[in-house]
Amino acid sequence: MTQLPTPGATPAAPPPAEPLPTAAPVRPRWRETLGLLARNPTAAVSAVVLVLIVLVAVFDETLAPDGPNEQDPSLQLQPPSWAHPFGTDEFGRDVFSRVILGAATSLRVGFLSVAFALVVGTLIGLLAGFYGTWVDDVLMRLMDVLFAFPAVLLAIAIVAIRGAGPANAILAIGIVYVPIFARVTRASVLGVREEVYVRASRSVGASDWRLITRHVLPNAAPPIIVQTSVSLAFAVLAEAALSFLGLGPRRPDPSWGLMLADGRGFIEQAWWYAVFPGLAIVVTVLCFNLLGDGLRDVLDPRQRTLMAGSGR
Amino acid sequence: MTAPGEGAPDVLVSARGLEVHFPIRSGGALRRTTGALRAVDGVDLDVYRGETLGLVGESGCGKSTLGNALLRLVPPTGGTVTFDGLDVTGMGRRQLRELRRRAGMVFQDPFASLDPRRTVAQTVSEPLEVHGLHPGRQARVARVRELLELVGLDPAVAARYPHEFSGGQRQRVGIARALAGEPDFLVCDEAIASLDVSVQAQVLNLLRRLQRQLGLTLLFISHDLSAVRHVSDRIAVMYLGRVVEVGPAAAVAAAPQMPYTRALLSAVPLPHPELERSRQRIVLRGDVPSPSRVPSGCRFRTRCPDVFEPCPDVDPALQPVGSAPGHVAACHLHGVVGTPVDGSGSTPAASGPPGATASGVRGTG
Repeated sequence: MTQLPTPGATPAAPPPAEPLPTAAPVRPRWRETLGLLARNPTAAVSAVVLVLIVLVAVFDETLAPDGPNEQDPSLQLQPPSWAHPFGTDEFGRDVFSRVILGAATSLRVGFLSVAFALVVGTLIGLLAGFYGTWVDDVLMRLMDVLFAFPAVLLAIAIVAIRGAGPANAILAIGIVYVPIFARVTRASVLGVREEVYVRASRSVGASDWRLITRHVLPNAAPPIIVQTSVSLAFAVLAEAALSFLGLGPRRPDPSWGLMLADGRGFIEQAWWYAVFPGLAIVVTVLCFNLLGDGLRDVLDPRQRTLMAGSGR
Repeated sequence: MTAPGEGAPDVLVSARGLEVHFPIRSGGALRRTTGALRAVDGVDLDVYRGETLGLVGESGCGKSTLGNALLRLVPPTGGTVTFDGLDVTGMGRRQLRELRRRAGMVFQDPFASLDPRRTVAQTVSEPLEVHGLHPGRQARVARVRELLELVGLDPAVAARYPHEFSGGQRQRVGIARALAGEPDFLVCDEAIASLDVSVQAQVLNLLRRLQRQLGLTLLFISHDLSAVRHVSDRIAVMYLGRVVEVGPAAAVAAAPQMPYTRALLSAVPLPHPELERSRQRIVLRGDVPSPSRVPSGCRFRTRCPDVFEPCPDVDPALQPVGSAPGHVAACHLHGVVGTPVDGSGSTPAASGPPGATASGVRGTG
């Protein structure tokens, strides 16, 4: 009885009185976001620099003039020169090459640990926020326990138990950041799950899984994206700290944190040994942070309207 | 509550003693339940197949909660709901999904009811995907075009996002989504309340056209009595979580049998200037009591101009009133029928003391 008529039999629908949006170009949200981001100079520059750093990390072996452990005993602790732009270390290794080769280590640890925290933390936050009640209580109290530990101390404890090495550094940093993602996600989900459009989807029969993946997560995503960017900065820093303490990658593998630690001993004779790896850390962390700030502005709906209004 | 004197009408949706109580919890770690907010508190209501039933009442009286509870979007805490003979309250996952296909909902705020990150096409085709209707991308796209045309939208807007539309257009999208599963039953929860007045009429007419064209059964929830009168076959009046009067739209509008309905109707402005000037408003005293502290007996007694002895002591049941068949009201003015407040006599309708003879049907002013 509710069989709809075929399109041909449909009586001509009354023409809508209001003008339909006509010429407005169909632009997906993410393109709009990129457009707004491009108009935020700080965030745009940060993004470009980060892309460059990632490219350097990917093509490190082609870009580095020397191998990571090519020693030249005649060139120990040489100041920066045309041959060695960042100088050499106590074994006569080219600091410039090692900074380039260390980028891969630092970024890999940073990206993988944040990816781990993002996946696990977001999942926990989604479940806790969406289902509430005892699921929320159990999961978030567990997160509180993790969160109560000072981050670096917890990482050191994990590495101490499982042994030093890049894989364990990734795991340690990842676990430390899980509660942060869980909290950010939960807070955002708590707001979104009460939205009418979530109830509307439920009213047409959508399953919990569909509600979570198609409606709740996409709408709860902006704070998570910002948190990811900020966490990447901290993760790079944490990797440097763990390496500095000898709990991350091992010598003689190049790593910014390790170089910083080794260069510290020569800071009076050869400033370049510690300064250039340190600079690499600063630039990377700063760019992630600034990009995070920019994303936060762009993804905030109120800011977004303001910016779009002033720009057009 | 079936209409006396008529052949048993074809009931599509039916509520019996339906209750939705929200627990009121104290703060603190223990979260003790300290009370209940009785949003829906013992509702008996039938919706006949193919009709438009208007549900009116002040804001906060539980209209929306009732509409949600009928579709189990809010879990009932007591009573039963049946849909086409099936017990809604006891449905399993599969049955519930089929119910969601056969019963749609149109929401009040068209700016909140569409996911801002999904295109119109994605929103409207969601029911198709969920229920596996019109399988295949091509078929779904065609069906979405058909639905958009049905609600008076240009199918070319399918790729647009909600923020590009006006309120009326968004509401049309919401209606298209609700119709995608070819439902039998549509709950319109204040579907026109947040629209401009000129657009309200358009959407109202659209709903009427769709109802006739598709043979829908409509539950039209609104606080706007004139809109309800315009679209409804029957009208149900709700007060403080309870349906207090039900009847044919013309009968309820012309000869309301319960003081609350009379007061509600007297608040509606008349379109005729002379009649409007002579319109007598019945202004109720006081505020609606809190649904967490419902008065004993008749819940309207604290504001009723005609309150008398049995009102605090007997919880009135719906009884046939007036001259129109199927017109019922819960009011002791028509004879004291209901459950004594004592609680000792649990369910059966107890006749009140014959001494209370104020049961003559009052005229309609």
